[in-house]
Amino acid sequence: MQAFVDQLIQEGYFQGLPKEIIYLGAMLLAALVVLSFFVAPLAGITSWLERRVWARMQSRVGPNRVGPQGILQWLADGIKNLLKEDIIPSAADKWLFVLAPYIVFVGFLATFVVIPFGGQLIVADLNIGIFYLLAVTSLVVVGILMAGWASNNKWSLLGGMRSAAQIVSYEIPAGLSVLTIIFVAGTMSMQGIIKAQGWAPWDWFLFYNPFTFVAFFLYFTAALAEGNRTPFDIPEAESELVAGYVTEYSGMRFLFFFFAEWGNLYVIGAIATTLFLGGWQVPPVTDNPVLIGVLQFMVFFLKAYFWVFVAMWVRGTLPRVRVDQLMSACWKYLVPLSFVSLLGTAAWMVLYPKGNRLASFGMFLMGVAILLLFFKRVNYQIRHSRPEIYWKPYI
Amino acid sequence: MSTLVEYVGNVVETVTTIFEGMAITFSHFVRRPMTIQYPDRIEKPVQEMLPLRYRGILEVDLDICTGCLACERVCPITCITIGIEMNKETKQRSFSHFDIDICKCMYCGLCAEICPTGSIRHSQEFEGACYNPASLVRHFVTEPVPLYKPKKGGETDPKLVTKVDIGQKYLDEFATPEEKAGGAGAEEG
Amino acid sequence: MSDPVHAKSEAFHTEDMTISMGPQHPSTHGVLRFIVKTDGEVMREAIPDVGYLHRSIEKIGEKVTWHGYVPYTDRADYLAAMFTNQAFCMAAEKLAGVEVTRRGEFCRVIACELNRIASHLIAVGSFGQDIGAVTPFIHALRERETINNLMEEICGARLTYNYIRIGGVGYDITPETCGRISEFLDHFELIVDEYNRLLSYNKIFIERLANIAVITREDAFQYNIVGPNLRASGVKWDIRRDIPYSVYPELEFDIPVGTGEKGTLGDCYDRYIVRIREMQESCRILHQCLKMLPKGPAIAKVARKFKPPAGEIYVRVEAPRGDMGFYVVSDGSEYAYRVRIRTGSFTAMSLIDKISRGLMVADLIALIASLDVDAPEIDR
Repeated sequence: MQAFVDQLIQEGYFQGLPKEIIYLGAMLLAALVVLSFFVAPLAGITSWLERRVWARMQSRVGPNRVGPQGILQWLADGIKNLLKEDIIPSAADKWLFVLAPYIVFVGFLATFVVIPFGGQLIVADLNIGIFYLLAVTSLVVVGILMAGWASNNKWSLLGGMRSAAQIVSYEIPAGLSVLTIIFVAGTMSMQGIIKAQGWAPWDWFLFYNPFTFVAFFLYFTAALAEGNRTPFDIPEAESELVAGYVTEYSGMRFLFFFFAEWGNLYVIGAIATTLFLGGWQVPPVTDNPVLIGVLQFMVFFLKAYFWVFVAMWVRGTLPRVRVDQLMSACWKYLVPLSFVSLLGTAAWMVLYPKGNRLASFGMFLMGVAILLLFFKRVNYQIRHSRPEIYWKPYI
Repeated sequence: MSTLVEYVGNVVETVTTIFEGMAITFSHFVRRPMTIQYPDRIEKPVQEMLPLRYRGILEVDLDICTGCLACERVCPITCITIGIEMNKETKQRSFSHFDIDICKCMYCGLCAEICPTGSIRHSQEFEGACYNPASLVRHFVTEPVPLYKPKKGGETDPKLVTKVDIGQKYLDEFATPEEKAGGAGAEEG
Repeated sequence: MSDPVHAKSEAFHTEDMTISMGPQHPSTHGVLRFIVKTDGEVMREAIPDVGYLHRSIEKIGEKVTWHGYVPYTDRADYLAAMFTNQAFCMAAEKLAGVEVTRRGEFCRVIACELNRIASHLIAVGSFGQDIGAVTPFIHALRERETINNLMEEICGARLTYNYIRIGGVGYDITPETCGRISEFLDHFELIVDEYNRLLSYNKIFIERLANIAVITREDAFQYNIVGPNLRASGVKWDIRRDIPYSVYPELEFDIPVGTGEKGTLGDCYDRYIVRIREMQESCRILHQCLKMLPKGPAIAKVARKFKPPAGEIYVRVEAPRGDMGFYVVSDGSEYAYRVRIRTGSFTAMSLIDKISRGLMVADLIALIASLDVDAPEIDR
């Protein structure tokens, strides 16, 4: 984006203004556009979609009254929460209590700077792109700890402590899986990683070698744990700690935490797509740059959103792990396995410096086989319980 | 070595059971949701979907009520209040008030079972919410109504025949004891 | 001491935290309160505080006629209302010497076993929800809705039935309803299988429950635990088999007993899986009852003003939460002299403090859910 602004300055659009002011103005404008036109509706619609997806998995219908098929439910929720009384517990630490949601929000929003929406659609293509992402998402720990402490409530404190332990521990498998991909791609910049992959599935890093395949699932699990999603949603475990670290929050402050959580799902999906699934790469069908741009944006969005859907699906299926099992799962299972995948990938790269297309193709076929096995199980399930079939996604 | 086997076994078992669970929840996407979207997106009103024996809010048909006060006596929670007064000149007994407090009512069905004509019965109504507790007491007597005298050999008045039939049909739903000759230990109360 | 928890507290001065898992909590199965002293995540003690749902049901028995008390017994445990009805009616019948008709006995067993399935569905469903899996809970409730519809067809109410009366049952079961019960059973056996595959065999679920909160045989006897909790500790005791009543001697069914298959004998997983197996056994009983249902009246002739002779009696039935006992004293009048209800959940509450020493807070939730305590039963 900086190149674009420089081009505009050279063409003489902003006379008399110092360069810093123009940059500042451009940054604010970009932030405003991304925030209000992309992130806010996205988080809102994700919340609606999550409720609908959950509901269909549970044989019921989710919200479907507000707007066509209930798609404006998030607006109604937002307006309702804005109109609520702002309660701050009298014994709570007021400034920390007020500041905590904003820190969580900053930690989540700052990631949108480097998300590559399309070939040219990236706010800033930092050459430490993915490293910056890992660093910035750790800000939420500070926010959650502040929320837990400042609420002056033992339940919130327990939730905040658990969350700090959880997020900090799961940084490691996430970081190691990302490192595996950085080894293969050779660069930390997001656009660079995408350009190192191809548009065909067997050119994606997911199927590059068996170790990156494992690294993907490790990354996804670790990212779910960092985003406080089931099966790792202990900090906000509804049935144990009432609501964990958000117990004392009400109204819009409460929504801020959940806004960050749903938006974070998209960021997880976006990182997973960039690193493992080939990002916005599309087969070269046309020469028209606008059309290609739109196609790239759509492909990236759909791929990232698919993982959002998978996260919702996992949330509806699995029970919660206990906090010590969470720690042991991280340190005893995920960290050794991610080290194994890292060293394996390094060894693979020594063996096959240019990559082994045959092995990639083999991994791709294995992935397709797993998918087919999955649908066979689904079919067995449907035939076995003989329910009434209803294909339409809306009701 | 056995710990390594156990380790790998744990990982494999986790992955396979999660796979199974996700297949089951995915299979639910193609099933019909069980929700009945009451009150506006249903084909026929819920009241018609309820069975005949449904114990909804009580209703009284005063035209066939004999004033025996059996329902008032049997109610375990004293939600029925009946008043009968006698007109001194005509020696005609009539109801002065027949109140049922539906917020006290336990919906147990004992009053409906004991009624000889079936005039007090549970309707299919269940939407009784209102803004004011006083309006939860249903008053069934607006003007003094004379008591009903059941006629031997069946009812002949055409206005009352359908009502008597409806009451009798309601009473037939209850289980009837067998009639033993001599009635072992039975007393009519 | 080599115990890391205590060693740490000698080095630093740490205090125990007293938390009130208060009456309003999403997962204490009704209004129960626990005063929990924890050291971080590990609990030192968990003292139950009961009485938030006390409604003086036992005292009401002295003011209401015998027939009129039956609807009140529904509310003593509204998830297993048929069993309380049946226990009280059996007590009254034994005092007065009334013989229940054969068809009435079979209708009673059908209604009771359907209610047992419904109650166990709530137990396993809310167990799943407390552990974090929300989908199986809704699936269990979906099945329970069908049972509620069946009960609505039979007796007109969905939760507080007032179906079992002194002398038999209040309404007869029509052949159409029997057909619908068969259809439901055919569908339900497949659903239990699916439920198992979704939840019971899930590794995360098993890890949460295996080896947690073990209740040994001796503990179970000393604290007078009954029902599926007792059977999960390896004791094969079921009132339907050992102190038979009604037509259970003629029916063929097994008693599922915990075997410690995924951990130790008597842990939370055993208590859970015993309930799933009991649901399957109830299906078997229902199939037999529907085939054996005789013709005849469904209720015996009982006086309107029921006055049993003076005496006292203790009657036990196998309710889903254990041994439900009714101790009824009659003095010959039309009101009972004393009604005392003995429930399985009340004694289970006394065990929670002992077992929960050393568990984590999350395990306390699993323990309460696995004991299937029910606030209306505890407080009456």
